[in-house]
Amino acid sequence: MSYTSPAGNFDMPRLLKFVVATIACACFAAPSAQGQTAREIVDRVDQLLRGRSSTGSIRMDIVTEHWSRTLEMRIWSLGTEYSLIRLTAPVRDAGMTTLKAGDDIWNYLPRVDRAIRVPPSLMGSSWMGSHFTNDDLVKESRIIDDYDIEIAFEGLRNGVEVWEFVLTPKPEAAVVWGSIVEEVRQNDMMPLWANYYDEDGNLARTITFSNFTMMGDRLVPALMTVQPVDKPEESTSISYEDLQFDIDITEDFFSLRQLRGGS
Amino acid sequence: MNGRVRLLTSLAWRNVRRQARRSSLTAAAMIVGLALLMFSRSLAEGAHEDWIDAGVRLGSGHISVQSPEFRDRATIEHRISPRQIEQIQEALSADIIAAEVTATAPRITVRGLASSAAGARPVVIMGVDPELESAFSNLGDKLAEGRYLQPGDRLHAYIGTALASRLRLRLGSRLVLTAQDADGEITGQLARVAGIFESGIPTVDEGLIHIPLTTAQEWLAAEGELTTFAIVLRSSKSVASTFESIVSRLANSSGLSVLSWHETMPELDGAVRVDDFGDMIFHGILLSIVALAIVNTVLMSVLYRVREFGVLRALGLSQVQTGSVVFIEGLILTISSGFAGMILGISLTMLFFHDGLDFSFLFDSELTMAGIVIDPIIIPTFTTSLILNSVAFITLIGVLSSFYPALHAARVDIAESMKFEA
Amino acid sequence: MVVMIGLANGMISQMINNGTGLVTGQIQIHSPQYLPDRSVYETLGSHPNDVESLLGIIERDPAVIAAAPRVFGGGLVSSGAATFPAILMGIDPAREVEVSRIAVMKEGRLPLTGSNEIALGSTLMDWLETNLNDELVLVAPAADGSLGNDLFTVVGIMESGIPEIDGSYVLLPIDVLQSLIALQPMRIHEIVAHIDDPWDAQLATDRISIELQRDGYAVDVAAWTSLRPELREYAQLASGTQWILAVIVFSMAIFGVANTMIMATFERRREFALMLALGAAPSGIIRSVLSEAFALGLLSLAAGVVLTFPILVWWHHFPLDLSAVFGGFEIVGTFVKPVLKTEYPWAMIFFTAFALLLTVVTAALYPAVRAARLAPADVLTGR
Repeated sequence: MSYTSPAGNFDMPRLLKFVVATIACACFAAPSAQGQTAREIVDRVDQLLRGRSSTGSIRMDIVTEHWSRTLEMRIWSLGTEYSLIRLTAPVRDAGMTTLKAGDDIWNYLPRVDRAIRVPPSLMGSSWMGSHFTNDDLVKESRIIDDYDIEIAFEGLRNGVEVWEFVLTPKPEAAVVWGSIVEEVRQNDMMPLWANYYDEDGNLARTITFSNFTMMGDRLVPALMTVQPVDKPEESTSISYEDLQFDIDITEDFFSLRQLRGGS
Repeated sequence: MNGRVRLLTSLAWRNVRRQARRSSLTAAAMIVGLALLMFSRSLAEGAHEDWIDAGVRLGSGHISVQSPEFRDRATIEHRISPRQIEQIQEALSADIIAAEVTATAPRITVRGLASSAAGARPVVIMGVDPELESAFSNLGDKLAEGRYLQPGDRLHAYIGTALASRLRLRLGSRLVLTAQDADGEITGQLARVAGIFESGIPTVDEGLIHIPLTTAQEWLAAEGELTTFAIVLRSSKSVASTFESIVSRLANSSGLSVLSWHETMPELDGAVRVDDFGDMIFHGILLSIVALAIVNTVLMSVLYRVREFGVLRALGLSQVQTGSVVFIEGLILTISSGFAGMILGISLTMLFFHDGLDFSFLFDSELTMAGIVIDPIIIPTFTTSLILNSVAFITLIGVLSSFYPALHAARVDIAESMKFEA
Repeated sequence: MVVMIGLANGMISQMINNGTGLVTGQIQIHSPQYLPDRSVYETLGSHPNDVESLLGIIERDPAVIAAAPRVFGGGLVSSGAATFPAILMGIDPAREVEVSRIAVMKEGRLPLTGSNEIALGSTLMDWLETNLNDELVLVAPAADGSLGNDLFTVVGIMESGIPEIDGSYVLLPIDVLQSLIALQPMRIHEIVAHIDDPWDAQLATDRISIELQRDGYAVDVAAWTSLRPELREYAQLASGTQWILAVIVFSMAIFGVANTMIMATFERRREFALMLALGAAPSGIIRSVLSEAFALGLLSLAAGVVLTFPILVWWHHFPLDLSAVFGGFEIVGTFVKPVLKTEYPWAMIFFTAFALLLTVVTAALYPAVRAARLAPADVLTGR
């Protein structure tokens, strides 16, 4: 919900489509490790963060060159089409709400009691000053649709059995990365880290996963940190405080009325 | 009567010849004046034609056809259907229009986002037919690296230098374009940089991308459809008439609006008009100086020839006839020097006609104005009508400025004049 | 011969064209890292009194007429259903009117200091489908990472004619913008200074730069010539073209004058012959013809100045507004209103005067020499 600065400051590094899928909905399929192809595993890790519906509390720590702040929020999601995010802290911003319904994004500003629609042309700008963009919120594609996947390493690393996958974009896939390298723990299929490279093979950003915790009925990485490589002092991390899956929620919940007030 | 006229003419003619020095001085003023006038007018016309041509080729042509709402909203919602495209092409195939049209460009234009691993920038994405567009737009000539789009290209993009540096793109780099498609969905499209251009216009170099039309149509779920059909004419002079014929031919196909460059590029239109006005002032001054020179020399010769006119009057010429002699003198001078001036003017213009006049010494490099890049080389344009009306104008001035001296000569008092300079 | 006055007049009138001045004649002062990215964090002023003293130093420069502080922020302006990105420009209304035309409202008035009022471009107004006195929401990422947002009343509409400005600029009081984007009141992004003659900008820039450095301010002072190189090029082109035109008109005029002088002198051969016959020395005749010409030249000049000066003055103070005829137009991203305003082209006047006198005298010289060499008998007998 944060937007363009004048002129040049527009391209605040956009990071992590991947993690936002996580905020939107998180869900975990129980591991059944044996005999899966690389493609199946990566898809499972990708889908581990998706479910029919969910709700939860999230803490987001954003550190930039000029400021750092902590946001707390409550999220609700239904499929990939609907989500509602309401800030609960800091006090100054509490009540600010973002509604995503289909391709539309609305923001509610309690201070002025207005809901404003984010135009498509602003999808690329940063959300709440974080290293996410509005576009990240509406992106729905699955990793396996866009990437070819190979196992680059399989075995013991730092005392843990892992797979290392290399994801290469399919020739016509609409993705910006040159490649993604992702490490997944073999025993419980938890992702450990993912590195995003540009086409020249330069590391652009990294995501690390930790605090694997049972939430609801699933094991999830409760802490994720995004780090842009060109600005090492900056980062955004997300930690889940609680999560519930397959809750009783319908499309009606994701309405402008809910955006304005609601619980 | 006829004999009288002939007599007066021969008198006048003799005067002109006998006073060769005076005549040639007067004539010289006119010749130089006319030559300069013609030269500077052709130069101005040439410059304006250059501006307009450069402007409309980068923009949406001398004339463009689009959905009526597209101009204000510029969203893909407002498209031209395949049936309407047929109607447009049918209208353009009429002889009277086809003779004027030199290039057409079917386009899909959307606003969207271009992203790379290094970031994202808002851009205008134009889906173009590579072959038609390279004959239409001058963007292909601004190549800095790589090549322009070619027929058969699919995932190719032609981008500006500023965008390339902001998104850290090189030839062959991946580029993801994101925009709202015809169904309102936000969709992405991969493209690879095939060529990088440098137009010199900051907004264009930073925010315009050309991709193949077919790719754009497929990506934006607008198969066979367009947002704009742009047309470039042979000359900006024929815009008004061609505009009318296109409008009348498309009158019964609903949902289409025809716009001329005056409407689509109001800034350029304003610049040309103001410059025209400046030229008008300049030419006015030039003409009045020429007129003054003529009045001055003819009048002065009259003043010094009072005695001569006195003699004429004494010999029985009426006031009108004496005046006529002077008037005819002026006329002879005007016509002959007008002719000479015309030849001088044309040859001066011709001299620069092929290569153009290089103004690049006046400014460092290329210059952008009203959103177009101006080529420092100006090729003068001259048309028959321009020549004819310059000549007509200067002849008129010659005639008018001979009038007062003629009047003066006619009023000469016989007795007084004979005393003069005894 | 009185006509020569007209010639001089015409020439000087031509110079009136020099007066079509540029609109952007400005000096800008920024923090050294502010341009080109315009980061909200690169501010001027670190003590509460800095802005005041900066303005003071700048306005003390003899060329500077006025200076105004500005704050910029990127944001969104929304009427609810319609939302557009905007450039938020915080201004000091009283000072801004002195330095730029953006502060001239087409309708309504400038926002008042301290109040939640905004003025926007006409295109933006159309897009938002809003009117004067309507309320709009501004949303802007603040310097502390929060999201500034507030309700504002539209009090003014501006129309510059430049699409980029009319479609994206929102003006609001500088203090209100500072609080919206969580910027301390002493922090600003830009000081703009307005000077009379844009060609003096570079000199004034150097002076101000030295002044500020001496007072220990590490700031960047830039003239429009370096801020807007394309505009400078255009100005050079325009003055180049003007120079060519002036030369053409000038040579035409000189030609006319020479022409007249030569003819006049020739017509007086008889008179000279008589003088020679009466015993005048040839050199005396030359001298008399030349001084006559010189006197004539001076006289016409005086007349020319008398005739033209009031026009110059009048045009300078009441520029001819042609916008009714042409509407506005845009050159190199600068809106130029078709108003012809005369500047006083002193150098040109002196040059013209000098050239005119020289021409008159030179043009008279040839026939005078010829006259002096006359065989009096031939001339007097009518040959």
